[in-house]
Amino acid sequence: MSAGGSGGGAPEAIPQNKLIAFGVIAGLVGVYLSHYLVAYVSTAFSFIGGLAAICAIVWGAAAVRRVASYGLGTGVPSIGMLALGMGVVASMFGLAVGGIAGPIIALLSAAIIGLVIGVLANRVIGMGLPIMEQSMTEIASAGCLTILGLSASMTGTFLFDAVLNNVVATGYIAVIFIAGGLAILHPFNANLGPDEKQDRTLMTAVEKGAIAMIIAGIVSITTDGAASAPTILIGLFIWYMAFEQYRKYVDRDAYDVVGVGLLPTEEEGSE
Amino acid sequence: MIDIAGILIDNILFVALITLGGVLISWSVHFVPVGGAPAAMAQATGIGTGTVQLAAGAGLTGLVTAGAMINVTDSLPLILASGAVGAMIMISVTMIVGTWVYTYGVGVPPASAKVDYDPITKDRQDIYVSQGTEGHGLPTVSFVSGVIGGGLGGIGGAMVYYSLVNITTGLSATNLMGLASIFAVGIFFVNAVIPSYNIGGTIEGFHDPKFKRWPKAVITSFIVTFMCSIVGVIAIGGL
Repeated sequence: MSAGGSGGGAPEAIPQNKLIAFGVIAGLVGVYLSHYLVAYVSTAFSFIGGLAAICAIVWGAAAVRRVASYGLGTGVPSIGMLALGMGVVASMFGLAVGGIAGPIIALLSAAIIGLVIGVLANRVIGMGLPIMEQSMTEIASAGCLTILGLSASMTGTFLFDAVLNNVVATGYIAVIFIAGGLAILHPFNANLGPDEKQDRTLMTAVEKGAIAMIIAGIVSITTDGAASAPTILIGLFIWYMAFEQYRKYVDRDAYDVVGVGLLPTEEEGSE
Repeated sequence: MIDIAGILIDNILFVALITLGGVLISWSVHFVPVGGAPAAMAQATGIGTGTVQLAAGAGLTGLVTAGAMINVTDSLPLILASGAVGAMIMISVTMIVGTWVYTYGVGVPPASAKVDYDPITKDRQDIYVSQGTEGHGLPTVSFVSGVIGGGLGGIGGAMVYYSLVNITTGLSATNLMGLASIFAVGIFFVNAVIPSYNIGGTIEGFHDPKFKRWPKAVITSFIVTFMCSIVGVIAIGGL
């Protein structure tokens, strides 16, 4: 099975390097901003962590799109789970040892783990995808930033004690794992095919990221350090805007969109 | 500053066990009859979903059963056995229900396209394979292979979790369990995806020619899990 495999690079309206810069800078700045604004201004600013996660998710989905369009030989979902698998190991390590530099150490260790997996995938397993090393590094880093962003929006900080008590020990980390992983893997999985377009795929990523943000907002009801209402409301707003935009892109890319009405009732159908 | 060398020397046994567990998980995936999307349409032998979903389903069940056993005993063999049995039950249930669906729902006989005779039952296979397909359903050999894979994966997952939980640390029991389980899940997923790239997404079991590729995935998993185990041991041991 070769999911979405056409054996070539995917055309890009936005160059990948811009998306990398966007993901890294917006993700890291967002995580730090949410921490400092929550600490010094108001807990309401915990929603910035969710925005950081959305930026990281868009970057991750773009990287998945790039590497998966070569045809991985297996389904796209595997790479999303790999992203969060690498990301969760790196992010917990970074936060545990790093203190205030935690997110940066987490990002660096995720990049190193991703690079090693990418190199081994090409050299040992012999996948032979020219962008495997770079993409694995990007995907691991994006997965790591997604976890950091969602954790920050759940707890209002990235300091390890708060994350450990409120996110890991309570099990919400599993929610982050699945919601973040789906947000990274689903956009390309849902849009792949010959008519796949970068803007439509990335808009799905924004929409899925907004769902993860809403869930993080619901979780933050249970924590002291973070306000839930702004996260949920802003998440809902972003979700609505992204979904509307996505629908417009679908209308644009489809040959024709027609209403077929409701399914016929049993009597009508038998006539 | 954390005494990295000291933590690693104190827990060197656990680093080794985590690495061994990761390698076992990686090897185990090669046994599981993964059919992917073609199998979901009964056009390839195996269970109709991806490696990661199957490995996660069986492996995480193994983690849960191993975790339950850790609460009552410290004996490593019992914990590993509990993990193995949990994962084997899960994968067997998945395969038997899948077989019912293929046999009574889709209406195809279980048949392998990779071998002419089932290595275990010696039943003829090739004449039952529908034209245009690469086999369908779960023949006996694939089922047995899948159970072996589930068992190995469960042992691997239980070994990773047992090692992480037993690292010397200042964490409270609840926090340690939470952190150890999410580390174990992360390591599990990484080691489930690596072999799935190695086998190209589908495999029938240990009789499939692709099974011979396992050393590549095992080497890769060895290096990657070794890195992850050091990272995990430092993170948990340093707290």
